[in-house]
Amino acid sequence: MLRIKNLKCSYGSIVAVHGVSLSVKKGELISIIGANGAGKSSLLLAVCGLLKTWEGEIIFQDKTIRGMSPPAIVRAGMGMVPEGRQIFSPLSVMDNLKMGAYTRYHRGDNHGIQKDLEMVMEMFPILKDRSKQLAGTLSGGEQQMLAIGRALMARPKLLVLDEPSMGLAPKIVSMIFKVIVDLRAQGVTILLVEQNARAALKIADRGYVLETGKMVLQGSAEELLVDDDVKRAYLGQDYGDFYDGREG
Amino acid sequence: MMVDGMTVEDKNQLKLERLQTTLNRAFKNVPFHRNRFLERNILPEHITSLEDLAKLPMMNRTHLGTHYPYGLFAVPLRDIVRIHTAPGTTASPSISGYTKTDLILWKNLVNRSLVAAGVTDLDIIQIHLPPGLANWGRDYKDGGETLGSSVIPNSPLSLAKTLMVLKDYKTTTLITTPAFAEQLVDHMFDRGNNPNELTLKRIILVGEPIDEANISDLEQSLHVDAWNHYGLSEIPGPAIAFGCKTLGGLHINDDHILPEIIDPETEKPVPMGERGELVLTTLSARAFPLIRFRTGDTARFLTHACGCRSPLMGIQWFKERTDNMIIISGIKVSLDQVKKYLQKALGMENPGCTIDRLRKDGTETLVICLTMDDALFSDEIKELEKLIIETGTALAEQAGVPVKIRLVQ
Repeated sequence: MLRIKNLKCSYGSIVAVHGVSLSVKKGELISIIGANGAGKSSLLLAVCGLLKTWEGEIIFQDKTIRGMSPPAIVRAGMGMVPEGRQIFSPLSVMDNLKMGAYTRYHRGDNHGIQKDLEMVMEMFPILKDRSKQLAGTLSGGEQQMLAIGRALMARPKLLVLDEPSMGLAPKIVSMIFKVIVDLRAQGVTILLVEQNARAALKIADRGYVLETGKMVLQGSAEELLVDDDVKRAYLGQDYGDFYDGREG
Repeated sequence: MMVDGMTVEDKNQLKLERLQTTLNRAFKNVPFHRNRFLERNILPEHITSLEDLAKLPMMNRTHLGTHYPYGLFAVPLRDIVRIHTAPGTTASPSISGYTKTDLILWKNLVNRSLVAAGVTDLDIIQIHLPPGLANWGRDYKDGGETLGSSVIPNSPLSLAKTLMVLKDYKTTTLITTPAFAEQLVDHMFDRGNNPNELTLKRIILVGEPIDEANISDLEQSLHVDAWNHYGLSEIPGPAIAFGCKTLGGLHINDDHILPEIIDPETEKPVPMGERGELVLTTLSARAFPLIRFRTGDTARFLTHACGCRSPLMGIQWFKERTDNMIIISGIKVSLDQVKKYLQKALGMENPGCTIDRLRKDGTETLVICLTMDDALFSDEIKELEKLIIETGTALAEQAGVPVKIRLVQ
């Protein structure tokens, strides 16, 4: 479904992603893990067209999407739940959800949108109870549900989630991860970026480990869970102590 | 693991991802690899396709010896859960390490090769390998147990007792070297044993190539299916490639080990389907990554599609070698090292000798026919005999194979 080859992107002169390749197959749940600053969010922003890339290929559903605008990428079937939720605080919960379906209105898919609104409300009953409430007044967990619900309103074929557990209480994190598992069970393909490596790998089929913008490990979630490197990548530790002084 | 039915694009993407992560780890964690990248002004991110691998330099067994013991490990020792060592072809033993993840991978690869030979959880696997291939014995044991088969691990039994175990324990799968298999057949027929007394269904031959005619002879003599497996102690593992009856060659696990076939003189790739030296790059090994390792083995890519529908590439493995080595019971022995050793031990500047292998009673021996010269000649025959025996014993210890030195005029 998604195939990335040798992707490079930067913030000015600072290169954030150094020639990364990864792939997501239909129905898979893929986790990208790594320490803070490893380039995980930059990679997702680049995939969604929100960060300019200067080399590489991004093929989504057999079409090149590198260089396409974010709305065009959403129309192509990719939905994003951004880091820090990024909900529209001054708008109501309902309006936020409708904004998620923005790219569908011009197609006159009102019936479908209404149906999906009901589906999201059923998935997150708390959003139904608070549909008229301003989004900015919701708790962190509720805002995350809203962000996921808003992304689902675009009816994505691939749902991209950036740090969905960030800043949330452990109980709420468990709930959000359960939602992700349920979505996957419903057939949604998911690309998840997460600092909580263990939690992310436990629900994933496969995983990738990013370190300073480079992919250093990839494999089945089962393999990565027993790999000592995963702990180090998550904790941001290095091998310096061991390798210093060894001759080349 | 690779899923059967993958498209070529999916498979190449997977291989590229694995190659790039391997190169990133090797560059970061192994000074030897990093220096070789930098000498050529290459960074791992410059390798953007499988073909780009050709930009990197080759490795050979000398590099393994130079960086003995841990210089090529890509993880700290605390992550290593198993260290394999074998006699090796240089002055130092060969070494390879496994992380927990590596062990899972190798169990799965051995498992895959056993399944391809039709082994199931109902089979009884008997492993009979010479001491130099003891590590492979462990890998086959692990792979067989993962599959759920009953495994009789490697034990130092005589030919007669091995045959007894084969018969009495109702072994269905024997994993051994071609040399031992042929000895077994001779032994059985010499004693009038009928192969139908055995419950053996298949024999898996490791350590050296065996041609179709010999495979066919073994199959007819023992009333079994015979399968050839290709492995390297340096990679590390026994089931890098495994025989396929439909293919008429071996499927190489190219989703985890990337093969190239090169002209040994120019180090350039030979045209597809032509014979050359097999070069391997590990794509998944965590502890001991090898990048463009020259195996010294001769092979060619099989270009026809395989009827078994395996997505794995096909190769044909030949007996000829591109390096100066001889295989004794699956163990590679460097002829240069043998001559160097004789030079030092016997004080001969240029020892005139012929080196060959002798097969007897299930054991292969390295036989050195040494030409007597003035430097070696001594009035004391006993002294000379003692020197020759001591040299043979020491050489056998170093090479990991039985050695016999004969003096010739």
